[in-house]
This record gives sequence, structure tokens and C-alpha cells, in this order.
Amino acid sequence: MRRSIAARLVLMFALCVLALFTVIGVVLYGVLGRELMRHQNDELNTNLQNMRYSIERFGDLEHWARLQVKMDTLTPADASVRFWVLSDDPRFQYGKGLDEMERVNQGEAGHGTLVMPITGHAYRTLSQRLAPFADRPAVRLIVGVDLAPYEHTMRAFLVAFTLLTLCAAGLVTALGWWIARIGLRPLQRLSEQARALRPKTLSQRLQLERLPVELEDLTGAFNGALGRLEEAYQQLEGFNADVAHELRTPLANLIGGTQVALSRPRTAAEFQDTLQSNLEELERLRSIVNDMLFLARADQGEAATGLTAAVVSHEVGVTIEFFEPLLDESGTSVVIEGELEAQATMNIALFRRALSNLLQNAIEHSQPGARLVVTIAHRDGALWISVTNPGATIAAAHLPRLFDRFYRVDSARHDTGEIHGHGLGLAIVKAVASMHGGGTRATSAQGRTTIEFSVAG
Amino acid sequence: MKLLIVEDELKTAEYLQKGLTEQGCAVDVAHNGVDGQHLAMTHDYDVIVLDAMLPGIDGFTLLRTLRQAKQTPVIMLTARDSIEDRVRGLHDGADDYLVKPFSFLELLARLQALQRRGRAQEPTQLKIANLQIDLMARKAWRGAERIDLSAKEFALLAVLARRQGEILSKTAIAELVWDMNFDSNTNVVEVAIKRLRAKVDNAFTPKLLHTIRGMGYVMEARDEPAGEMPS
Repeated sequence: MRRSIAARLVLMFALCVLALFTVIGVVLYGVLGRELMRHQNDELNTNLQNMRYSIERFGDLEHWARLQVKMDTLTPADASVRFWVLSDDPRFQYGKGLDEMERVNQGEAGHGTLVMPITGHAYRTLSQRLAPFADRPAVRLIVGVDLAPYEHTMRAFLVAFTLLTLCAAGLVTALGWWIARIGLRPLQRLSEQARALRPKTLSQRLQLERLPVELEDLTGAFNGALGRLEEAYQQLEGFNADVAHELRTPLANLIGGTQVALSRPRTAAEFQDTLQSNLEELERLRSIVNDMLFLARADQGEAATGLTAAVVSHEVGVTIEFFEPLLDESGTSVVIEGELEAQATMNIALFRRALSNLLQNAIEHSQPGARLVVTIAHRDGALWISVTNPGATIAAAHLPRLFDRFYRVDSARHDTGEIHGHGLGLAIVKAVASMHGGGTRATSAQGRTTIEFSVAG
Repeated sequence: MKLLIVEDELKTAEYLQKGLTEQGCAVDVAHNGVDGQHLAMTHDYDVIVLDAMLPGIDGFTLLRTLRQAKQTPVIMLTARDSIEDRVRGLHDGADDYLVKPFSFLELLARLQALQRRGRAQEPTQLKIANLQIDLMARKAWRGAERIDLSAKEFALLAVLARRQGEILSKTAIAELVWDMNFDSNTNVVEVAIKRLRAKVDNAFTPKLLHTIRGMGYVMEARDEPAGEMPS
């Protein structure tokens, strides 16, 4: 079952109220019971002391008769307070149902409980033995207080409190539901805002100002995700435009070249020439498509497979050897520095591909006779391979974007670099690095440019 | 070489048939999996070129069925450039695979490599016109004159000479000589060829190292020195 925040809050409110009221009720009930008992005891005591004083002072029948009248007077009409005097001498006895009293109240002086045999009324009693005086033998004075009013009070309290508790729980449930609805209204607003988001309005963000602080984190995170999405979306759009632009030139050459070739009668050699030119353009298209497929796979988070442990400096050496004809031609030299013993687990073909792109780049952007440096070093838990070449310093604004697809520092350079690349070289380096759990970095200062990538380990 | 091409894309099938026939192969073509499977099962081919995505029976299913009966070498063509497909293809018993878009030269090279498999040991001496190569001693002569080559230059020469008459793309050369098996956008191979040509060809006749524009390089003795085109 899907959980509702409002329902959960309401349920918890109600349970809290029930628990709280139960505790309060139990305590109050106990206090009330004790207070009532104290009150009974006080009443019993007062009556007992009062009567005892009257009985103890006199010992003749004349006074006894007056005492009986007094006890009659003191006994209220509803018999909520009653007196009994037990005695061996029947003349000095008082009270109804004395036989039963004799039977049930033989114990020591003190508190007791008595249930009247006929009416079933319960009485709380206090009794005391009084010493003989003159004609009067020793008597036993018993004062009783009817328990019914107290029991009634306790019962009424219990019923009232239980009803109150249930009402409170019900009320809190209703109020809680309402409060939860009000409290969750910002979420509703948030969903409405989120619903309004469209690919065309990607720069839109969820409004933070009117939201409670509790939602700030969530909204901030969501806005962050929107930001990344927008960036990726824009990159994608820009990328599509770049791809279209990149494909347009070879396509135009193909179409134009073929149209020109077919517009006049030509010799076989001329057609051959056109076909060869077309083939060059087609190869270029194929190369772009293959590189883009490769980048797309890296974008989808594909990790490098076919990993083997290799000594990095050895792989660097092999790749440099590949470039030897080119290096010889331009009189460029390359030295390997740093941790020559360092090993890494990597896909060797991909590593060579990335490094050869960097070397190609470095050779292209430095003067003949330059000295290139390849450095292998552990840094920040990764193994970095950097290629440094002397050459024009690249403005800092360009550096982070060097690894973007089709990004060119100098758009005018486009045509001179045409033979050797189509602006995907460094993007491929970045893809290879990310497939190996690494990253890329470019720095340029004082006529030296360093471009590097890392592999995990 | 007797070949079967199973490919539903008509233009692809057509140019493959034409190109391979001109290379001296006997080529059968099937445009769907059902026909392809029937031909593959009933005839004995040297190599089958099999598209992965086919109407009727797909390439992987066809391959599994075929492998239960025959061990004909198979080159898979796959448009989906994903690792899973390659693994699946090779696991199902394909001998090689090519990812579309592939170049015709590459297919040709793979076919020749498959055919070369299990052939008798290669000769240690090669001779093309007046070029003589001793593969064991790693020495080369043009006529009587010894040619001084670096180790990589010799390797490049040997790769071209071993496959004389066969057009090698720059990518194939980079892979065979330097073990760089990726499409590199560098002109290293062009420069290396230029330097090799300076040592092996420039001062001598006939010219042996030819550039096929847009395709690559080929080493062969040609009748007419002016012609730069393959017949």
C-alpha cells in the first residue's frame, strides 16, 4: 500500500493524544480516589471524635437517651452518615441491624468496610472501643459513611474522562488532517511547478523563495538536476548542430564533385579522379561516424573492457615509436619523465589511441625542433599521463572546453587542421579517460601547454 | 574462393558481390535469413559473410544453426557497435566481425586473413621485380644494391611485400606494423611511406610502392610506370 504523509501524521497525532490523555486520566483518577478517601476519613474521624466525646462524658441512661436523639439528628435523611453503638447491655445500644453489625464487626478498632445486608449499600466505617463509665458498660462506637456517592463520583469521572479522550482524539484526527493538508500544500505547489516544466523552458527552475526550509534541500537538488539536464540538453543541441555542420562539408563536396563530373562527357581518368576524391570524403564521413559512435558509447557510461595490467611507460614508448616518422620529419624530440615503473590496468588499444591523439596534437601545435615531454605521475589517487609541448599559450577560457566535441580554440584554424582531424581528438581522450575511471585536464602558461588524462589506479 | 554473402540491404549486397567477384571470388548472395541458411547448409563455402540483422532468421540464429552442422568460417557484419553484439557473435561461433560502416578493403583483408589461416609456412625470401627481401636476415636489396632500413621501415616493407597486389589502408598498415589498431587521424603512415619510398623506390625502376588515392597503398610490379591505378 502506498503511504500517505497526511494519513501517517494524523494517525500519529491521534495516537499521541490517546496516550497523553490516558496517562493524564490514570493519574487524575488516582489523585481523585485518594483525595476522596481522605475526605471520607476526615468525615469519619470528625463524627467519631464528636460522638466519643459525648458518650465518654456521661454514664447514665438519661444522658444516653439524649445521645440517641443527637445521633438520630446527626444521621441525615439519606443515611449517608450512620452511627452504631454496640454494647453488652441492650440499654446502651444504638443503630439498625445491630445483629449483623455484631457479626461482621468483631475486629479491632479502626477502618473497615461494611455492606448493608438488605439495601446492599456499602459503608466505610471507623470504630472505637470506649471504656465503661458509671452505669454504662464498655461500648463500641462505629461511624459509617455511605460509599455510594464516592463511587458515583469516581464512575462519573471515569466516564467523562473516557468520553473526553475519545472526543479529543477524534478532534485531533480531524484537525490533524486539516493541518497536514495545509502543511503539505507547498508540495502540491511544487508538483504544479514541476508539471509546468517543458524541454523548451529548460532554463526554468522551481521557485525556492516561497517554499518552507524543509523542502529547500529537495528543491535545490531537483534544481541541480534540472541544471545538469539543461546543460546536457544544450550540449546535445550544440552537438547536433556541430555534427550537421561537420558532415555538411564532405557531403557538399561529394554532391558537387559528382554533379560536375556527370555534367559533361568525361574520360575514364577524370571519372576515376572524381571517384577517388569522393572516396576521400566518404572516408572522412566514416571516420566521423565511427568516432561519434565511440563517444556515444563512452557517454552511455560504457567502461573499458579487455583490461590488462601494463607498464605505462612501455605503452608510452610504443606509441612514441609509432610517431617516429613524423617526429623525425619535424626534428621534434620526445622524452618520458616521471614514474617509469608505474603500472596500470587498462585497455591497451584505447590507451594508445588517447595518447596518440595527445601526441598528434602536441606535434601539430609546436614548432619543428620542439621538445615534447610525456610525464607519468600518480596524483590524487589516479595515474596521470601528461603531454607538454611548447607553443602559443591557450587562453584560460578555452582550456576547460578543449575536450568538448568539435571545439576549436581558433575557428579559423579549422581548415588547416582538416587533414588530420575533425575536432574529436581530445573528446576521444576524455572518453577513454572516463572509460578507465579517470579524468582530463588542460593547462597552458608561459608558452607551454600541458594536456593530460588519467586512468584509475 | 567460394563465398556466400547473406545481406538484406540490396546496395550493400550488390557492391560486395561485384567487388568480390572482381577479386576472383565465386560469390552467392542471399537477401534473407531463410535463403541464407538454406544455401549455407547445402553448399560448401570457403567463407560466409553474414549480416547480423536479417529478415526471417537473424544472423545469430543462422550462425547457431550452421555451427551445429558445419565449421565454415563466418565473418559477421553488425551495425550495432556494441560490445554485447561482438561477444554474442564470437560466442556463437563467428570467426571475425566487422562493424558497419566498414570499408571494402577491410573486408577484403579479413577474408584474406581467414583464407591464409592454416596455409603452409610463409616463405623467408620475397622477390618483387628487382626488389629482394630476406625476411630472416631482415635485409633488402634493390638489384644488387643493399637498402639500409630501420627496423620499423623493414617491418613496413615486409608487410607490404608479403601482401603484394593487395591494397592496404593506412589503418591496416598502422595495425600490422605498429600494433595501433584504431582509426588514427594522423599522417604518420603517409610520412613513413614517403620515407620508405625514398629509400626503396625513388632511385630505382620499376616503381613498386603505389599510392591508391583514398584507399591506401599497394606494392606490386606494374607494366606501365605512369599508371597509379589498380586494374
